[in-house]
Order: sequence, then C-alpha cells, then structure tokens
Amino acid sequence: MPRFPKCDLVSIDDLTIAEIEQIFERAADFAAALERGDRLALAEGLIMATLFYEPSTRTRLSFESAMHRLGGSVISSADMHSSSAAKGETLADTVRVVSAYADLLVVRHPNDGAARVAAEYASVPVINAGDGSREHPTQTLCDLYILQRKKGRLEGLTVAICGDLKYGRTVHSLIYALARFGANIVTVPYGGMALPDYVLERVAAERRYKLSTLTIDELKSQSGGLDALYLTPSAPHQMALFTGDDPLARVPTARPPAALDAFYVTRLQRERLNGGGADGQDYVHFDARALRSTRAQGAVVMHPLPRTDELAYELDNDPRAVYFEQAAAGVPVRMALIAWMLEGARRAARPEPAQPLVRFKTGSTPRCPNALCITRHESAYLTPRFRLAHNAGRAVLGLRCEFCERELKVEYVGHASSRRYYHFDENLYGYVRRWIEDGTLAVFETVKEAEEQGYEPYRRGPQREIMNAAEIAHACQAISTQIAADSAEPTALVVVGVVSRGAILAMRVCEALAPIMNFRPPCAAVDVYADDPVLRRIDGATDNLCVDGREVVLVDDVINSGWTVQRAMTALWRHGRPAAVKLAVLIDRGHRALPIRPNYIGRSIPTARGERVSVRLAPGDTGDAQKGVDRVVIYSLLEPHVASEQAP
Amino acid sequence: MTLTTPNHKATVAMDTEAIRRALARMAHEVCERNPGMMELVLIGVLRRGAVLAHRIAAILPSLGVAAPPVGTLDISSYRDDGKGRPGDPRILGRDIPFTLDGKPVLLVDDVLYTGRTVRAALSALTDLGRPTAVQLLVLIDRGERELPIRADYVGRNLSAPPGQRVYVKLSEIDGVDSVVISERKA
Repeated sequence: MPRFPKCDLVSIDDLTIAEIEQIFERAADFAAALERGDRLALAEGLIMATLFYEPSTRTRLSFESAMHRLGGSVISSADMHSSSAAKGETLADTVRVVSAYADLLVVRHPNDGAARVAAEYASVPVINAGDGSREHPTQTLCDLYILQRKKGRLEGLTVAICGDLKYGRTVHSLIYALARFGANIVTVPYGGMALPDYVLERVAAERRYKLSTLTIDELKSQSGGLDALYLTPSAPHQMALFTGDDPLARVPTARPPAALDAFYVTRLQRERLNGGGADGQDYVHFDARALRSTRAQGAVVMHPLPRTDELAYELDNDPRAVYFEQAAAGVPVRMALIAWMLEGARRAARPEPAQPLVRFKTGSTPRCPNALCITRHESAYLTPRFRLAHNAGRAVLGLRCEFCERELKVEYVGHASSRRYYHFDENLYGYVRRWIEDGTLAVFETVKEAEEQGYEPYRRGPQREIMNAAEIAHACQAISTQIAADSAEPTALVVVGVVSRGAILAMRVCEALAPIMNFRPPCAAVDVYADDPVLRRIDGATDNLCVDGREVVLVDDVINSGWTVQRAMTALWRHGRPAAVKLAVLIDRGHRALPIRPNYIGRSIPTARGERVSVRLAPGDTGDAQKGVDRVVIYSLLEPHVASEQAP
Repeated sequence: MTLTTPNHKATVAMDTEAIRRALARMAHEVCERNPGMMELVLIGVLRRGAVLAHRIAAILPSLGVAAPPVGTLDISSYRDDGKGRPGDPRILGRDIPFTLDGKPVLLVDDVLYTGRTVRAALSALTDLGRPTAVQLLVLIDRGERELPIRADYVGRNLSAPPGQRVYVKLSEIDGVDSVVISERKA
C-alpha cells in the first residue's frame, strides 16, 4: 500500500510554479472524472485526519469529499476545542498521536504559524487548512485554478483585492502566489485593514515588488477613474497599488493598470478582531455597478466564501461572478493535491532562506511580539525562532519570527559572554552579526529587562550616590507609615512587588507595616517579563493570593516611563479586580510616557534621559549588617556611538 | 442620558463658554508638550470623550498644526454582573483605522474618576500596537482615584461627594454644552 511521503504544504510557496501547473492539470482530469461518475481508487486504504481547531464548513467538507472520491477514508475531529485541546493537550502532542492513526493530516488552527508546528511534529504529511491570519494555501490553489480557467493564463494578470486585507489569510496566500506569476495587484483595503507590513516585506524581498500608495485623487488624475473606486460607498482614504517589476529591466512601473482581470473580495474577519474592532457598517459592498465600467468589463468577481453582505445577490447570475465555481473547484483541486502528494511529491530542492537562524543562548530567546503567534500559546515546548528581517537595514535590527513572520524590532542588544548591553545603533551592526554567528546575542525590550538578567551597561560615566542604606531604610519606613495611615481596612491590604528589586522592597514594606498595623499583609512578586506573569507568594505562605476586592500596594524600585507598572497592572487584572491599587516607588526619576502617578514616593530625582538610576538592595530578609550594601546611584550612559567604538 | 429631575438639586459647574475655553487651553498645552505634533494620534473614549477628541482635533489647525487622526474606543461603564459584585470596564469595540506602532497617543475622556476606564483603555491600546507614549486629556477630574492614574491635561478639577454625579453634556449628543453636578439618580 502506498504511503504519503513526508512532505508538507504549509505555505503556498512550498509549491513551485511547475508543481502548481501539474496539480491544475490533474484537477481538470479529476473534474472530468467526477463529471463522468468514475470510481477512483487512488487513495484506497489510506486515511486522512482532519483536525480543525476553528470552525469550517467548506474547507473541511471539500477535503473530506476529495479523500472519499479518491477511494480513501477520513477520520475527523471537527471541533478540537471540545476535545483534547480542551483538556490542555498541546498541538505537538495531538499531531504526534494522530500521526499514528492517519496517513495525512489536514490542520486548521487559530494561531499564526500553527501549521508549521504541526508539520514539524507530525510524522505524516500535514496540509495547512488555514493558520490564524497567516496563510490558507489550498484556498489559493482553488482561486488560481479558477483564474487560470477563466483568463487562460496566470502571468501578468491585474487583480484588485478588496476588503479585510489585514486578517484575511486567503488574501495573503493569494498575494504570495500572484506575485510569483508577476501579477499587478491593486489592494483596496477597508479602513484600517490594510495589508500587514510583513506581507509587503515578503513580496518586496522575494519578488522585488514595490508598494506605491496613491490617494484616490491621484488615481483619478492618473487613470481617469479606476474601477476600484466603485467598490465602497464610503471611499477608503487611500489605495495601495502594486506594480510588478519587469525582471529584466528591474525598473518598477508605476502605472495604474489598464484593465482589471479580477476582483477578489473578502469578508471582514470578525472573529479576529478580538472583541472590538471596526463595526464593518461601511464595509465593502460590491454590486453590478462595479462591473459596468469599460475597465472592468472583462473582470471576474471572486470571493473565498462565506460572504456576509459584501457581495450583492444580484451578481450571482452574472457570468463573471465565479465564486460558486471557486467553491466547486475545491473538491477536484484538493483531490489533485492529495494525489500529487501521494505520488511522490518529488519536489525541486527548496532554496535555503537567505538569512541564517539567529541563535540565542539557552533561556534568553526573546518572545515573538505577535500575541497570536503559536509560540506564545504553546510556549511550554516551542522556542521562538528568528531570522534577520527581510528589510534588515543597518539602522534598525529587525528579527522575523520563523513561525508567524512578524518582526521584532530590537531596542537593546546584549553580548552574552561579557554580560554587557547596548542600545542598538547602526555602528553595532557588524558586531551583532558576529554575535548572531557565535550564538552570543541577547536582546531586551528595556534597560530594566537587561539589568534583571544581570547585564551591565557597556560603559557608564562617573557615578554618584544619591541614597545610602540609612536613607533607603528611612524611605521604606516613611512609605509604610503613609500606607498604614491611608488604609481604611488593613486586613484588605496586599503588597505586590515587581521582580526583582521591587519584590525586595515589597518584603521590607511588609516587615515595616506589621508592627504599625498589628497585621502582616500578604506579599507577592510579579515578574512582568515572564510569558505568563503570575503572582508568586514570597512571604512563605502557600495559599493562592486573591486580589479580588483587596487593596493592592504595588511596589517597584524606580519609575521611569511607567510601562513596567502598566504591565504589572495588566498582570494583576488577570487575577481579579482589586478594590484599589496604590503605587509605591523608591525613586521617581520622571520621563513618564504613560498617565501613571505613584501614590508613595521615597524620593523624586529629576534625571536626564541619558542617565540611569541603579538601585542595589541586599536580597530578602537579610540582617541589618548586610543591608549596608544598599545604595542608589546615578550615572550617565555613554552615547551609543562612543560605546560602540570600544565594543568587544 | 437624561439629566436632573426638578426635585434634585443641580449645580452647573461649566457652561458653553467655560468648556470652549478649557478645550482651547488644553489644545495649546497639547501643542506645547508635543512640538510639531509629530505623528500624534487622538483616541476618544465613546461617546463624550470621542466628541471631545474631535473638538480638540478641530482646534489644532488654528494653532498651526495639521489635524491629527482620531480613533475611538468603546468602553462599557461600570456594570453589575448580577451577583452584586461591581465589574470592571470592558472594551466593547474600537474604531482605530490607523496603526499605533511607534506613535504617541492622546487619550481623551470626559470625566476622570476612579481611573478604571483609563486602565482598561491603556491595556486595549497596548494590545493593539506599540505606541511610544500615551497622554491623557480629560475635561473634568473629579479626584477620588482608585488606581495610580493621573491626567496630563485637565479642563477643570471638581470635587463632588461620592453620592453625586458629574454629567458632561455636549451639544453633539445632548444638544447643549455644560457640566452639571447633581444627586445620583435613585
């Protein structure tokens, strides 16, 4: 019995143009065979498993139908959220287990990059049936198949893509594919739903596509009115226009297209708006008027379905409305894909990504900035992987997540062997490249994060002490006295310190509060840089800390921009709804970027931006002798360009 | 939102002219704090904060800076979950058709009180992107904060006992511009 060779379809770019054409030939044969009612036995004895972590009707049914038509059989878990995933099983474990039950997996998942994870952990081939807002390659195969049949070619078409371009995964896959066929792509985003940068950067880097943004007025004056103008009743405030490079001349042509070959309309991906979002009242509405202009006479209207109300029903009988044919193509195209995968799927060697993987020292890999990335949701076993971003210039250090393709813009870089950190600047680029090769690069969002991990600034100017041990002790005492005086209900108090010096201070505040109030409030620490910032008891008690209805005193050593406090509050709100939050800090150094004000301040010290305030505290409940090391110093950081001249 | 009934004592704290002056002054302050207004975007909290955000945006061109883009956040006010426990404000929706990445944001609301709405707004804004800074502008600061939140620009400080309510009426919604303090409706 033939088995599927292990070869996955995660991105539409996993297929070469020749392979796509091969699949389309097969699809046409299968369509004819279905028409004739032939019985096929190509996949006899083989089992396909469909794992859908998100609702789907047509994709899942057309996959299952395709497999049955090929003589194979299907096992299905249509609603993974009610089954093993609800019990907390990871995606990796699920696909490993199901690999033993089936010969081919079809996976849909709400997180960006999930398909790549499934492909890496499954021992049988995986087909991506949609991962978050990233890609949906099999829908694109259906789209291209219909386009080719209607237009007779795929090269050099002009396609207008309208609607939600931000979250529409079908749109992203389609754009990657059309770019390979040298299409002109006109994007007409619904307000705020423009193509994400990472999609633009990918087609720019890999296909030398250039984005030119034109306002509607510019478009009008250049082209005498473009059909796309008819797409929305309330016109989008800007249009983006792609023009394919001429590969020979490599000169982008900035002309608006002469005639449109297709309109590709998508629905608003409400489920990805995260509860909020545009209400969609003025979303694209496409009706017969749009097809009346001469420029659009030959254009077909496409939609990945389901439609909400962006396509008028009056279009359905127009021969140019091909969306039901698109849907019908789902079965023969997926049959052709399965057959192609079964028959060896001999693939041309894929080019290695241009940029090498960035190696980090164990435990210091940064997290992906995309909250929906699969690495953020399955962090127990997944380590994010990054490559230098496509557009990596020397001035900005961008790292691109291998799973979701989003870019992490790096503020601070560190050198893991010398434990020094630097603000990134283009003079450091050469060093950073070397550190990447050596696996000694560390990256940080803030100075605080760098220092929490034991990194020191590369060079510091002369330092001066602004508080000594006695003054720190006095400030803690004064803060505690005020807290006690302000507290109407001492037993409702909870003290939470921000790791790590804020937590030490929190313990000291608790110590000082105990004799004043005749009650020692519970004390916990919150690590704001953890993936899942939980409250951890640090007062020896083991019961869970409840913040619901409690008066929380949040303690940190230095307040600067306020972002750390904001993160700490977000963490608190995950645990409940405090009756009040008071903020106590040892030092307020100004430079607030958020509307946050501490309630209790040990000392306010105006500082320049280039200065650092460093607090040193003896850990935990150490004796008075040890507290002698406590001090607060202020020093200035050397300008990055000065520092880099002397970098290792 | 209806206002006071005749049996309730109501005090007018600000009239049309006072509101206009306060907004004009705050617009000046915003310009001063943000030289050139580079990339500043306005986010108004629905509904009256959004109206105020649009008014501030409309004043700015007369001060020689381009009108910044305005988005809105829809945040529920305090709600009771039916179990007798007060809930926290929640984000019900947003209309922000531009990116916040790398931009300073001016958050606009009508009344600053416990600070819980602002906290919910801050967390929504940081979910949405990575703004460089968030400044807060309010027409009325009535004190009595439960969270360590403060406004960068305040139209007027008003102290009203917890039993009373501060109503901001704006002509776009209520047909008239005024700020009224009155007994809380039963």
